[in-house]
Amino acid sequence: MKNSTWIIIFSVVIVICCGLWLLISNSSYSFKIVGIYQNGELVERINLDTVTEQRKIILNGDHGNNTILVTNEHIKMESADCPDKICVKHGELTENTTPIVCLPNRIVIKFENSNNNSDVDIKAGAAG
Amino acid sequence: MKKNTKNLILVALITSLALVAFVIEASIPPLTPIYGIKLGIANVFTLFALYYLGKKEAAAVTVLRIILGSIFAGQAVSFIYSMCGGILSLLLMILLKKYFTVNKLWALSGLCAVVHNFGQIMAAVFMTGTIQVMVYFPILVISGIIAGVFTGLCAQFALMHLKKQNNNHF
Repeated sequence: MKNSTWIIIFSVVIVICCGLWLLISNSSYSFKIVGIYQNGELVERINLDTVTEQRKIILNGDHGNNTILVTNEHIKMESADCPDKICVKHGELTENTTPIVCLPNRIVIKFENSNNNSDVDIKAGAAG
Repeated sequence: MKKNTKNLILVALITSLALVAFVIEASIPPLTPIYGIKLGIANVFTLFALYYLGKKEAAAVTVLRIILGSIFAGQAVSFIYSMCGGILSLLLMILLKKYFTVNKLWALSGLCAVVHNFGQIMAAVFMTGTIQVMVYFPILVISGIIAGVFTGLCAQFALMHLKKQNNNHF
């Protein structure tokens, strides 16, 4: 085959993959199960797809309270009593790689891999 | 010099070069948060060995480079990923070698890089037990084609230059 044939094949594959990637990243098919941890222990695990009404989770720590706001498909730290408020400034949890962290009260909110929690798929409202 | 001795020395030399490239590349911080996107410069040496020496030598270079590379630069986990990707792309390379002349090497390399990433992602699916890892496959195909074409061109230019230098070797 000619060089130009290969260039065309590769370009077509790249374009198709770009389309697929856009499709995947826009769809809700992604990591939607979040875990809320305090002092390294699981407080609650929420599947954001099953959240129907917004609710607040209040966690008490050594340095005051943290309020987590859970709405459909979104989770964020609404308010915190700590001085720096890094977790509040973080905004909504969007990326798999960067969890919401509150260091003073040792709270971590992060996406979970869905393989290790298939038996404990807790729905919203089970606790908190 | 006997041919066996010469081949042995060349395999050792190419393996050490590939290893150096691999270790240097491993020490560069990743460009993206997605695991698996990298240039794969070590593949230049596999391709070079395949066309300059032969199939057995290319297999030796790849396997040795992966084993030694994991000792020097990686963890036990990365060894499994490298092996899956490396062996798959090596097999494809050996199978398709007769259809690709030296000046089409870049296309072969692009295909091999895609297969390499496919092997790695299958290893990831197997290791983590999550099929969701396949979500990254399209982006890995794109990066594989770009990186593969680049490394293929590197090997191609090196081979064509050598061909000009000593016509009798080919």
